[in-house]
Amino acid sequence: MISTVYAVLFYVATVLLIVGTGMKVLKYARTPILLKIPVSPAPRTKRGVVLRMLREVLFFESLFKSNKWIWIFAYLFHYGMALVLLRHLRYFTDPVWWWVALIQPFGILAGFAMFAGLGGLMARRIFQPRIRYISNPSDYLMLALLMLIVFSGYSMKFLAHTDIIALKAYMLGLMRFQIGDLPTTLPLLVHLASVATLMIIFPISKLMHAPGLFFAPSRTMVDNARDKRFVSKWARNLPPLPEGIPTSEEG
Amino acid sequence: MAPLDKKADDDKFMDNPFVIPPLECGASLDTDTFKAYPEHNEALGFPGELLDNWKEVAIAKMGELAKRNRAFQVYLDTCVKCGACTDKCQYFLGTADPKNMPVARQDLLRSVYRRYYTFAGKYFPWLVGARDLTKEVLDEWYTYYHQCSQCRRCSVACPYGIDTAEISMAAREILDSVGVGQKYCNEIIAKLKKTGNNLGLNPKALAATLEDLEEDLEDETGVAVKIPLDVKGADILLITPSADFFAEPHIDGLLGYAKVFHSAGVSWTLSSYASEAANFGMFIGSYENMREVSWRIRQAAKDLGVKRIIFGECGHAWRVAYSFLNTLAGPFDFLDQNYPIPQHILEFTLDEIESGRLKIDKSRNDEFVMTYHDSCNVARGSAMGDKEGGQFDVPRAVIKAVCNNFHDMERDTIRENTFCCGGGGGLLTDDLMDLRIKGAKPRMTALKQVSDNHGVNKMAAICAICKTQFAKVMPKYGFEMDTIMSVHQLVANAVILDGQESDEAEEPTAEETP
Amino acid sequence: MAAYDVNGTAVEHDEEGYITNLSDWTPELADVIAKAEEIEMDDERWAVVNFLREYYEEYQIAPAVRVLIKAIKKSMGPEVGNNKYMYELFPYGPAKQACKIAGLPKPTGCV
Ligand code: SF4
Ligand code: SF4
Repeated sequence: MISTVYAVLFYVATVLLIVGTGMKVLKYARTPILLKIPVSPAPRTKRGVVLRMLREVLFFESLFKSNKWIWIFAYLFHYGMALVLLRHLRYFTDPVWWWVALIQPFGILAGFAMFAGLGGLMARRIFQPRIRYISNPSDYLMLALLMLIVFSGYSMKFLAHTDIIALKAYMLGLMRFQIGDLPTTLPLLVHLASVATLMIIFPISKLMHAPGLFFAPSRTMVDNARDKRFVSKWARNLPPLPEGIPTSEEG
Repeated sequence: MAPLDKKADDDKFMDNPFVIPPLECGASLDTDTFKAYPEHNEALGFPGELLDNWKEVAIAKMGELAKRNRAFQVYLDTCVKCGACTDKCQYFLGTADPKNMPVARQDLLRSVYRRYYTFAGKYFPWLVGARDLTKEVLDEWYTYYHQCSQCRRCSVACPYGIDTAEISMAAREILDSVGVGQKYCNEIIAKLKKTGNNLGLNPKALAATLEDLEEDLEDETGVAVKIPLDVKGADILLITPSADFFAEPHIDGLLGYAKVFHSAGVSWTLSSYASEAANFGMFIGSYENMREVSWRIRQAAKDLGVKRIIFGECGHAWRVAYSFLNTLAGPFDFLDQNYPIPQHILEFTLDEIESGRLKIDKSRNDEFVMTYHDSCNVARGSAMGDKEGGQFDVPRAVIKAVCNNFHDMERDTIRENTFCCGGGGGLLTDDLMDLRIKGAKPRMTALKQVSDNHGVNKMAAICAICKTQFAKVMPKYGFEMDTIMSVHQLVANAVILDGQESDEAEEPTAEETP
Repeated sequence: MAAYDVNGTAVEHDEEGYITNLSDWTPELADVIAKAEEIEMDDERWAVVNFLREYYEEYQIAPAVRVLIKAIKKSMGPEVGNNKYMYELFPYGPAKQACKIAGLPKPTGCV
């Protein structure tokens, strides 16, 4: 019974995540940019823009320059999570890819980094008056949810041991649309439920910052307005203005 | 030379330009700017007064803008409330009002957008801080979106590049569309549509002013330097802010352009039809109005048959010119493609200096120890020259070429991190004087630092708004109002024209052939 | 809309004190406006106000500060005709404050 519920949950979550995010991304991509609005100094070439975005994604460059504390916590969290996610590939691959096997121990450590980062961000949200001022309930809950995911994950390892072999069989089964038996330890159920929740809210929450980053005109536009005329598709339909100076006016 | 003459009591300043004040809710709530009269709004194509069905119209407009403008759409979605921008706005640093923190400013609108246009906000408003649009909210928009100079300092800090200026422009566009305009901006745009400039200077008065200035130039140099107006067939059309015809130290900059053009031996002209570089259409976020204002420049250029367009010293005008003009009023296939279209006067002047065509006597500026204020719109919304960052280096190169003494201010207050002067984005109006003084605080503090440490006694700028703002606000901080200078004023001081009657001790060497 | 009181007649002005109907101006009104601005009119200030009005009459706009100063220099000498002294006469600026007293519209733009 629980196995089926979770199977349905994961199918729904996956569909919502992919379709929802895809639709949002399509919407962003289809919305015209009206004017050349990169925040300068901006690269003069496409290659430069790619480098600028790489620096943003790999090093969180702007954040590094603007706030070191947030940068440290955010970096720990995001890169911790990246490693943890990669580590989790072992539940979906058989045989496990060699490099996934290689990073297993780092993945465990990375979970701690992730948790520390989340804790730091949460502490700032609670204790720093400026950030408290701009926080809504959802902002705290989002951090809490992520912390719950990490915590329940570790619980499986250190508190209530979970049958990982059975879990993997279940997951591989899901990928082939077969519903097997899910081990029913509490930490695992919590872990999976919270992950599914995260997947479901992704496209309708601020988590959209991840794909959104690549659609921010301030960072993704090439600074070449003088060399190449830029006209948005929206502006093409504007009524033309008269050439020549109307004689009724002075001048 | 003595450092700045400071009668100022030091507690007007901050300990350093980045001191974050403790939050004071509502500190700036009563700082409001005058609303436009119906005739101003109507001249811009907006309803004269608050519509009866303003709520529906505002909500619809918001949706329309989100559909039309990717920046607006994406920025509303992607903020994670990380707080990195919260201490970056000069108006927050100056007023301590938390609603002047960039993200809080965005949220004034984002909260409403969420309520009507997002799943979470429709069904769980309390969870995501979504709220209904009410008259109080509308008033709050009016107040706080007119405490943002659209300077983009916050955008540089944001990990997602969220640009509060875009939100602020959209908010003003929504306000205008329901009949709530700002008097300062809308009156000025209406005036420009009638007379060609923000001042309301008609061609006869403009011609008289220029004649007067030509007289001054001849008195000063003994050379007949012209400031031509409406000359058909001239090579260069100069588009400069109308403040250059009216205010101090702007006029000194204009005299500087005239001397440079004279020295370079080019033929140039001003236009009485497009006698304004400024384009307040940007401040109110109105593409249509911005386009109409820009279009005048195209018309004038065609009508006069010029080959090149050069812009004078004006910050937001240069953003519109550099980044938008080609879009709004192009293509400029009728101009000479061998030159940048448009070109900045500083690019022109630097060329003249570097090629050695301009004769310079740096020592004429020796009484000045200079610093330079990067104007926000030039720094973060445009560029100069052909290298990334040219908008910082070209002006400094010109200043250093004509002055012996130069010191930059604290690194995080200049270049891409420059503070706004406090009067940008349509805030340069007397009814916002209190806000302007507070917003200038970080800049004034940075200036005091270099004045104390390096004896700096003048600050140069290349923006009409910056110049006016500083001339008005500096005295409140104990600096003389003429502490602010035009960059081309320094150029004007140092340039030696062919045939110019030389200074006391100098040999009359410049008499030879031109 | 608020108004100045000139010996019992009301003269309308906008929220910043500039009169709305330029033909309402009289020398008595100038005194009233000046008082509201906490300024006492004297010969020097009258010279400025009169020049502004003459210039406006001809050009439909206030003169540039520099043009004003030059003219005052000619008529009153360099002690009066300089930027600093102008600000002593009209602390809020010769362009804006003197225009208000002279019954001219407020100069707009980046000035
Ligand atoms: S820095 Fe950007 S993401 Fe962070 S709170 Fe400010 S606007 Fe939001
Ligand atoms: S754009 Fe400038 S003025 Fe506006 S919120 Fe950002 S920092 Fe403040």
